[in-house]
Amino acid sequence: MKVLTATRLGAIGILMSSAVFAQDDLNALTPEDLLPLAQAEGTVTVYSFTSRIGKVEAAFEAAYPDIDLQGFDISSTEQIARLKAEAQAGVTNADVVYISDTPVVLTELLETGIIAPYVPPRVADRVPAEYQSPLLAQRLSTKVLMYNEEANPDGAPVSNLWELTTDEWRGRVVMVDPLQRGDYLDLMTEIVLRSDEMAGAYNAQFGATIDLGGAANAGEKFIMDLFANDVILVGSTDDVNAAVGVLGQENPPVGFTSYSDRRDNEDEGWALQVANGVAPAPGIIFPAVLALSAEPNNPAAARLVIDFLMGDETETGGPGLAPFYVAGDYVTRSDIPPHPDAVALDDFTAWRIAPAQTATIRAEVGDLILTLQ
Amino acid sequence: MADVAISGPGRRVFFRQGTMLKAVVLAILVALIVLPLMRTVLFTLHPDTIRAWSDVLVGRLSTNLFYKPLGNTLLIGAVVATGCVLLGGFLAWLVVMTNVPFRKTIGVMAALPFMIPSFAAALAWGTLFRNDRIGGQVGWLQGLGLEIPDWLAWGMVPTLIVLVLHYFSLAFTIIAAALATVNSDLVEAAQIAGAKGRRILLGIILPVTTPALVAAGSLCFAGAVSNFATPALLGLPVRMQTLSTRLFGMIEVGQVGRGYVIGILLVLVSGIFLWAGNRVVSGRRSYTTITGKGGRAKRFDLRGARWPLYAIAMAVLVSSTVVPVIVLTASSLAPSSANLFSGWTLHYWVGQSDPSFAQGIPGIAHNDDIVRALTITLGLGMAVAFTGMFVGLLASYTTARYRAGWMSAAITQISFLPLLVPGIAFGAAYIAYLGAPIGPFPALYGTFALLVIAATGYLLPFSVQTGRAVIQQVGGELEESARITGAGFFRRLVQITVPLAVRGLAAGGILIFVKIIRDLSLVVLLFTPTMPVLSVVAYRYASEGFGQFANAITVIIMFISIAATLIANRLQSKSQPWLQN
Repeated sequence: MKVLTATRLGAIGILMSSAVFAQDDLNALTPEDLLPLAQAEGTVTVYSFTSRIGKVEAAFEAAYPDIDLQGFDISSTEQIARLKAEAQAGVTNADVVYISDTPVVLTELLETGIIAPYVPPRVADRVPAEYQSPLLAQRLSTKVLMYNEEANPDGAPVSNLWELTTDEWRGRVVMVDPLQRGDYLDLMTEIVLRSDEMAGAYNAQFGATIDLGGAANAGEKFIMDLFANDVILVGSTDDVNAAVGVLGQENPPVGFTSYSDRRDNEDEGWALQVANGVAPAPGIIFPAVLALSAEPNNPAAARLVIDFLMGDETETGGPGLAPFYVAGDYVTRSDIPPHPDAVALDDFTAWRIAPAQTATIRAEVGDLILTLQ
Repeated sequence: MADVAISGPGRRVFFRQGTMLKAVVLAILVALIVLPLMRTVLFTLHPDTIRAWSDVLVGRLSTNLFYKPLGNTLLIGAVVATGCVLLGGFLAWLVVMTNVPFRKTIGVMAALPFMIPSFAAALAWGTLFRNDRIGGQVGWLQGLGLEIPDWLAWGMVPTLIVLVLHYFSLAFTIIAAALATVNSDLVEAAQIAGAKGRRILLGIILPVTTPALVAAGSLCFAGAVSNFATPALLGLPVRMQTLSTRLFGMIEVGQVGRGYVIGILLVLVSGIFLWAGNRVVSGRRSYTTITGKGGRAKRFDLRGARWPLYAIAMAVLVSSTVVPVIVLTASSLAPSSANLFSGWTLHYWVGQSDPSFAQGIPGIAHNDDIVRALTITLGLGMAVAFTGMFVGLLASYTTARYRAGWMSAAITQISFLPLLVPGIAFGAAYIAYLGAPIGPFPALYGTFALLVIAATGYLLPFSVQTGRAVIQQVGGELEESARITGAGFFRRLVQITVPLAVRGLAAGGILIFVKIIRDLSLVVLLFTPTMPVLSVVAYRYASEGFGQFANAITVIIMFISIAATLIANRLQSKSQPWLQN
């Protein structure tokens, strides 16, 4: 009985000490210092926009057996809606937020104080400054045009995005509904922002200057033509991957999906490959960011998770980074070598989004898409 | 009598018998039902969000935001209501009025589909008919080499078929009950006068049962227009939107104002049709169908058509009950829905996480999320069964014992209001209502309490109706005499009403339990990752392409639903009087 009481007192003492730490103090702690505080917290909740959180959960709990990581696979769009509703309700469910959709995240979650930035001091000197602020980017992810390598052994069947609006590709372009997934809306928005390049590509494809019709610019015209050409909208990237990638198809569609999903080719029986040569660009590259919720229930464990997700001191980042050290994901840590099987980042022709600029016309593009479906 | 005794001179009206009770019940109902709906309307009138009304109703977006989904919604409502009345009426006629073989079997099976969640049928449809339009796994029929056209795999046609096969069961129950009460004198008189079967059907039975047909039609209409799962699973891949899927989509992407406006319009559409149906019925009240006299008329002799009609009935019933159960069970075992009956594995049920299989998702027995969702769902069902029956009994007791006054009328009206409110709109209203702190009360977003409170309000029409039936079984005289001997209100309730009504209460509670655990539309918006319920987990798996897990969960829900329903039917042995001869 006495022992029990003593243990309890100890636990309470540790809990209180972690409560006493101001957030800033916690931010300076090394993982070794965070660990006992995190163990006292015992659990941590992560909202993640990727299903790979399942692998992270297993790896984290193997590394820190006393801490129960509860990972939830929730799309970025839904995370934003949930986090806003929870903040309005004064409820904090998530400790760590792992999310893309940065154009919206910056304005609606960071500026409103729903989430807070955190850069683990251990890796701060090995992540370029552009990826530390305003939020820590763990890696760069993609939404790019992919094709079926097995059915097209000589390379991509498409060399210009405008081909997707022709009869040959009618009903054979697959993507996730941009109104359901923010990264796809970012892709559509980027196409509009790059209207000049799209106009140039139109000329290259059809040998004529683009006739905008009812569209405001070449980007909008492309989106309208793509929808008019019976683009197939599905609910998740895995549906795109399966549609495009499944082996044994004679005339497979092409689709916009994550380059990194190529990693599952073997396990899932897919033949996904990126159409990097397509003009003017195959799609977008965007950051996947890690943040704390403004007032996490488990502040120390939350920081420990982010530290873990940034990879350890081994060459390729160890188990925390393993799910993301794959061809097609570009880890931001400068000391981790690029994945050997992927197109090098410098050779990758996809557009890099500028979140602030995307945010300005994103809602407008969303409304345009709403009128098309 | 009570009123006379107590409202004597010198007493203030406030203390009139029942006034306090009525005020308390009314306050509960207002808090559960009126306030959430008002809060939603107020939200859309806020200066920041009022623009949503013009976006939805007139702007360039309105066609896709509102008018096209409205057209789809009304089409679904009209076709499903007609189909259900025809199909349900046909089966009811067979069971109640003819000498078709195995009448009882048909009667029992026809009541079952409504107990199976509607998303189960939609998932089963996908497992059979899914084609390669959106890639991924194809369905069983395509796997057999049949070419399934898009119109049969996705969109309006499958949505209509699945919904008719779900809601006809509701129409059957209502119409069968009405047919069972058709006065045999009328039929016999016609027979003596030499009328043939056809003439009797069109000249007597149809007119006399018109109120039941209209009631069945309007309830099926209301159910179909508010159904979320079926159009979401079968319609979205071909961009077919209904008002309920649009409402869901808008709220999920954070366009809450537009979502609420669509929700309010959905309530109006549903309400107008139920009201119109009610008007038609109430204009024909002169048909008295139930009298004390008269026995069962001779059954129509179907002669040579007996077995063919039986075959037709069984084909419908098997495809709406047995087939979904078999298909979902098989599909929860088969790695590929194209080969539904081969390569079975228990992985989706009991497998450990395997990175090369289904993205490393473990079988549902080892999946913490699903186990937690199961616990929460069962807890929710039991909690709502309790709160629902409590409020339902209180409300029906109050209106039965103290009938007079505007408050009783208000209690009756408000308690039936949720019938007009589609589940998904009710869920949206509760987010507006309890999603932010009210005064000293904390916000309930993401809590178990929110689910319980919303579900209690949503099912109130049902629980009040059950409560009323229970109260009517307990004669007022016993209570009167207890009151005369000085027993207080709670004493009377606990010692007389409840013990006498406990069977009925238990049955009602079980049915509420079933209704809530198989519900998707109400909880789909109230769902939070940290407070999961089974139906939403199944829906999410299905929409992310993990059909086997969705189907395995659905099999569990079906199993619990059917078992609980059968228990409730036992307790309420009188629930199907038309089966007794």
